[in-house]
Amino acid sequence: VRPIRWSGIALALVACFFAGTEMALPPRIAAATQATGHSTPDTSHATPATDQKSQQPADSPRALLDKYCVSCHNARLKTAGLVLDRDAADAGNVATQGELWEKVLRKVRTQAMPPAGSRRPSAAEYATLTTSLEHALDAAAAAHPNPGRPTAHRLNRAEYALAIRDLLGVDVDVRSMLPADDSGYGFDNVADVLSVSPGLLERYMLAAGHLGRVAVGDPTIPVAIATYRVPPLAAQTERMSEDLPFASRGGLSVRHTFPVDGEYVLKVRLQRTYTELIRGMTDPHQLEVRVNRRLVKQFEVGGLAGRPAGDLLKYLQSADEDLEVRFAAKAGSALVAADFVKEPKLAEGIYVPPPPLASFEFSGKTDSEAAIDSIQITGPYNGTRPEASPSRQKIFVCQPAAQADEPSCARRIVSTLARRAYRRPVKPEEVDALLRLYEQGRAGGGFDNGIEWVIERVLVAPDFLFRIEPEPANAQPGTPYRISDVALASRLSFFLWSSIPDDELLGLAERGRLHEPSILDAQVRRMLADDRSGALITNFAGQWLYLRNLRGHAPDPDLFVDFDDNLREAFQRETELFLQSQLREDHSVIDLLRANYTFVNERLARHYGIPGIYGSHFRRVVLPDDRRAGLLGQGSILTVTSYAHRTSPVVRGKWLLENLLGAPPPPPPANVPALKENNEGGRPASVRERLEEHRKNPVCASCHARMDPLGFALENFDAIGRWRSVDESGKPVDASGVLPDGTRFDGPAEFRRVLLAHADEFVTTVTEKLLTYALGRGLESYDMPAVRAILRQAKPDEDRWSSLIRGIVASVPFENAMPVPRAAVAADARRVQE
Amino acid sequence: MIITKKALSRRTLLRGFGATLALPLLDAMVPALTALSSTAARAIRRMGIVYTPNGMMMPNWTPKDEGASFEFSPILEALQPFRDQTTIISGLADKYGWPQGDEGTGDHARAAATFLTGVHVKKTEGADIQGGVSMDQIAARALASDTQLASLELAIESVEFLGACDSGYSCAYANTIAWRSPTTPLPMENDPRAVFDRLFGATDSTDAGARRARAIKERSILDSVSDRVRELQGNLGQRDHAKIAEYLDAVRDVERRIQKAEQQSARELPSVERPAGVPPTFEEHARLMFDLLLLAYQTDMTRVTTFMLGREVSGRAYPEIGVPDSHHPVSHHQNDPEKLAKLAKINVFHLKQFAFFLEKMRATPDGDGTLLDHSMLLYGSGISDSNIHMHDNLPLVLVGGAAGQIKGGRHIVYPKDTPVTNLFLNMLDKLGVPAEQIGDSTGKLPFLTDL
Repeated sequence: VRPIRWSGIALALVACFFAGTEMALPPRIAAATQATGHSTPDTSHATPATDQKSQQPADSPRALLDKYCVSCHNARLKTAGLVLDRDAADAGNVATQGELWEKVLRKVRTQAMPPAGSRRPSAAEYATLTTSLEHALDAAAAAHPNPGRPTAHRLNRAEYALAIRDLLGVDVDVRSMLPADDSGYGFDNVADVLSVSPGLLERYMLAAGHLGRVAVGDPTIPVAIATYRVPPLAAQTERMSEDLPFASRGGLSVRHTFPVDGEYVLKVRLQRTYTELIRGMTDPHQLEVRVNRRLVKQFEVGGLAGRPAGDLLKYLQSADEDLEVRFAAKAGSALVAADFVKEPKLAEGIYVPPPPLASFEFSGKTDSEAAIDSIQITGPYNGTRPEASPSRQKIFVCQPAAQADEPSCARRIVSTLARRAYRRPVKPEEVDALLRLYEQGRAGGGFDNGIEWVIERVLVAPDFLFRIEPEPANAQPGTPYRISDVALASRLSFFLWSSIPDDELLGLAERGRLHEPSILDAQVRRMLADDRSGALITNFAGQWLYLRNLRGHAPDPDLFVDFDDNLREAFQRETELFLQSQLREDHSVIDLLRANYTFVNERLARHYGIPGIYGSHFRRVVLPDDRRAGLLGQGSILTVTSYAHRTSPVVRGKWLLENLLGAPPPPPPANVPALKENNEGGRPASVRERLEEHRKNPVCASCHARMDPLGFALENFDAIGRWRSVDESGKPVDASGVLPDGTRFDGPAEFRRVLLAHADEFVTTVTEKLLTYALGRGLESYDMPAVRAILRQAKPDEDRWSSLIRGIVASVPFENAMPVPRAAVAADARRVQE
Repeated sequence: MIITKKALSRRTLLRGFGATLALPLLDAMVPALTALSSTAARAIRRMGIVYTPNGMMMPNWTPKDEGASFEFSPILEALQPFRDQTTIISGLADKYGWPQGDEGTGDHARAAATFLTGVHVKKTEGADIQGGVSMDQIAARALASDTQLASLELAIESVEFLGACDSGYSCAYANTIAWRSPTTPLPMENDPRAVFDRLFGATDSTDAGARRARAIKERSILDSVSDRVRELQGNLGQRDHAKIAEYLDAVRDVERRIQKAEQQSARELPSVERPAGVPPTFEEHARLMFDLLLLAYQTDMTRVTTFMLGREVSGRAYPEIGVPDSHHPVSHHQNDPEKLAKLAKINVFHLKQFAFFLEKMRATPDGDGTLLDHSMLLYGSGISDSNIHMHDNLPLVLVGGAAGQIKGGRHIVYPKDTPVTNLFLNMLDKLGVPAEQIGDSTGKLPFLTDL
């Protein structure tokens, strides 16, 4: 008999009353909530130490645990390593066992436990247990908030690029300069895994050297060749981008940064067959080169008629030799394009579809359409210092009229640059240190060179590369404090923009106003409305939904002859535009699952079977039926959750559980053989049949019974997201499934309704993912109360994006930090290493 | 002279990414007054594979006689100056170049993909490629801890891995010979600028003045940064402290590299400007790539390299040597004398570039000899007669002294169908990273290392 523990749960319920009314927990109760064992029974709240068990109401949490959980999770069986006996686990003492109870709560809330087949609580009992555990945990958190402490963040590659854009006005292709970052908890902005090696520092120095030169427009910058390739598996039969002229076909349009005013040479290379013969040269073609949409040169290439037979081979090898134009360009970023003028075509004879681009047949085909392989931009030649490039305008906030003005102007430039780069006010001594470097550079090559040295120095400084939030001098381990307004500004801008704060945000922070709720709120709204919030889509959604994997995904070209880079590009664009509209129009996040519209161009519409859409530009369309409603009908997601050669209900089911429902299945046990693929000659079995075979093994079934049905629901979509009614094995698609709780569905539309019945789990998952991304660290059990607080305040606002985001910004872990004791740091370091 | 005797740990010097120009002058590491013969030190050994695509005009390759009295053939003529360190090897076969079962054509892709692995590759145009680990990567893995780059993979032609480059085979098979794992073919870099950046970081040129100027600037910047880090460390939380300490370690490492670079900026290196990009002609491109290989060896950035003078099925035309036709169709010569002559011209042209590299290797001092003395450079192809795609009697020649371990000046003919992987066993052995088995190998070759 453990009477005191039972007093605990009663206390927790008292506590949640206080928490619910937003009052601080009275210290006496908080202390009692933490009481353990037989010590100091607080008789004013606890029932006297008599036979407690008999006094528990049948629906008390303890009674429910006893009734449904402990038959497996007891000290003897220790199923899944979890012991919920009253001796071991104290439902009332959540403050010290938060991790355990958050785990239990998650299983109970999602009704993932007890497993199907065993005795399960009624809906009311589930609700009781969920509510009481939540309240107890939230109350404990309110009494002892733990905001955690993210480690100093190194900027990741995406953040670095955007910070450079906003700081220097230079658009850079950082992919070629910096290595990709490791990721943790599904995101590559997690501080713990963002390390610095000597190799990386060298890369930063290399990048800084280059960026410094480009930013000031250093005319001694060496000649460089930049090559831009058209994706090799893109059919160049249509207009390739909205940045290209309407009557164009093929080619590409790229954003290129010209480092200085000067002359540049653009050379076009045409696509060749594997025998190095240029494709499609039989007839003449007009090829245009444009810079910022202005025609720079029109070439004629091709046309074999009239050439002596002896010259033909040479011509087919070298027809693009002279596709070269030299032009003057101003420093800064420009849109550079090359394309063919679209030739009118007359249908003639029987239409023979071209072979797939990835096939060997195509790689040898000379009579396919002429196509651009790549453009090369070489320069600068005769470079001169630009008068007013965008980057110079950003950096040179003054120009010394005479040598005597140089020191004061340098000080202004350097302080402005350092403040923006470091995202905080800069001390005079810091500026002095930078000016010493300026002097060295100036001595070697004049005023601009001095500034260039400072830029290089600033770009490798820890103050720029790391987001460091200084701890207040009086900070005590274990005691949370509110982070400064300046630190908050950076948290906000890296969360919403993946970049540095702008002057308005930083200004408010420096004046100590940012934390004021109305100002903070207005800033969040302003930032979300700004174009820079597109970073949320590429960086947050791109990783959350696995969209980034689309780039490297390669469906089997023999089975999916339709798949090419145009379709890949269209998938990507569709989902980006869809997410953008969801965010900008501030939809409920639940609309991600049920929106009845999407964005398509002709290529994608044909893929989806939507009639009447012509041209390469994307437009919003209302879907004709509910098969493809929401994200789950989009080719991008259906493709990245498939194998190269077939769909995988397991992969799709796992993706759904992990990313939409927040209930990731554990990794498979060791020694599980992979699903047998169909043997040639054998009786083809459908994936479903093979999976059913697989689920006969009870070890497999424990997880696959949850995963597979979710994936089956999407079986009408093939491995590149096309609608189908017959599967790979030639059998009619069976898209029905039964969830562990007995819910049945058939097809994606019915399944969507089932998912929407679990909308709360979906919103919780989005919130958890978004909070992970916002904090740049994995969520811990002590963050769950914050997640619930965000959800509570977003609910009345229909779970809109803005209410979730504002909830995150106002949450305990986002606005606070806590120094950790030394021992905890060491333990964490070990954990990360393992 | 590079010495492995641990009087001073080389690792302390090598840890940076760009400990580039600092390294060869390591005499200081040998304790003074110790006779070389009495130290445990051994010369560094290096290995390079140079691959030429689309087979060989075999009648013009194979020397007439066996043994030490052989005469150089027309293609091999350019190796005459290196006779003492040249071993021509005939008779070896790349078994998995041949179609297995009903695989059919695709010999070019198979030849490249199996050449250094001796492992059958899966016939697929998709992403589900499957091969074996190549012998250079076995060496690279073993030597990785000694140099900054485990290996360097270079090529003249594109690095594309998408699409199909040979009947039924993904481009990944035809475009590289280096495989880190059975599913990870290594892309070969064909842009000299990218190679240069990998080797030398932020320098504009290997010219002494440019290196010194750069080193001075970097040192000033890093000095200024380390001052700041020290100041910062005073008021950081525990976790931040650990991160910033890591950053400071990196700064220290780079500083050490710069310090070395400064000390040695007077040291003569072949002056190579940071290349702008890919040169227009084959010869310029090939020579620039070879120069970069030389620099990589000379600075001990890596000891293992592979270089493809063309990808398999290369269709490059060589109008500059009177072959305006594309290489691959010419290689299917059907014994047409005109085509045979053209193929031979390409073969000679490729080998000349290799000889140009050998000359520079020989002219570069390294310890008690030259770079060539301490290297093993294999030149060859996974196809012999290209007309009908033969994978036996491969054209192979091994040049370099491997630090006195290989006796040159011979033409050795092995029994038909001896696996080429047997030769690789010998090579890895000489490199000091013996392997028991590589793909289909059956045991080391005899005679090769008789001294």
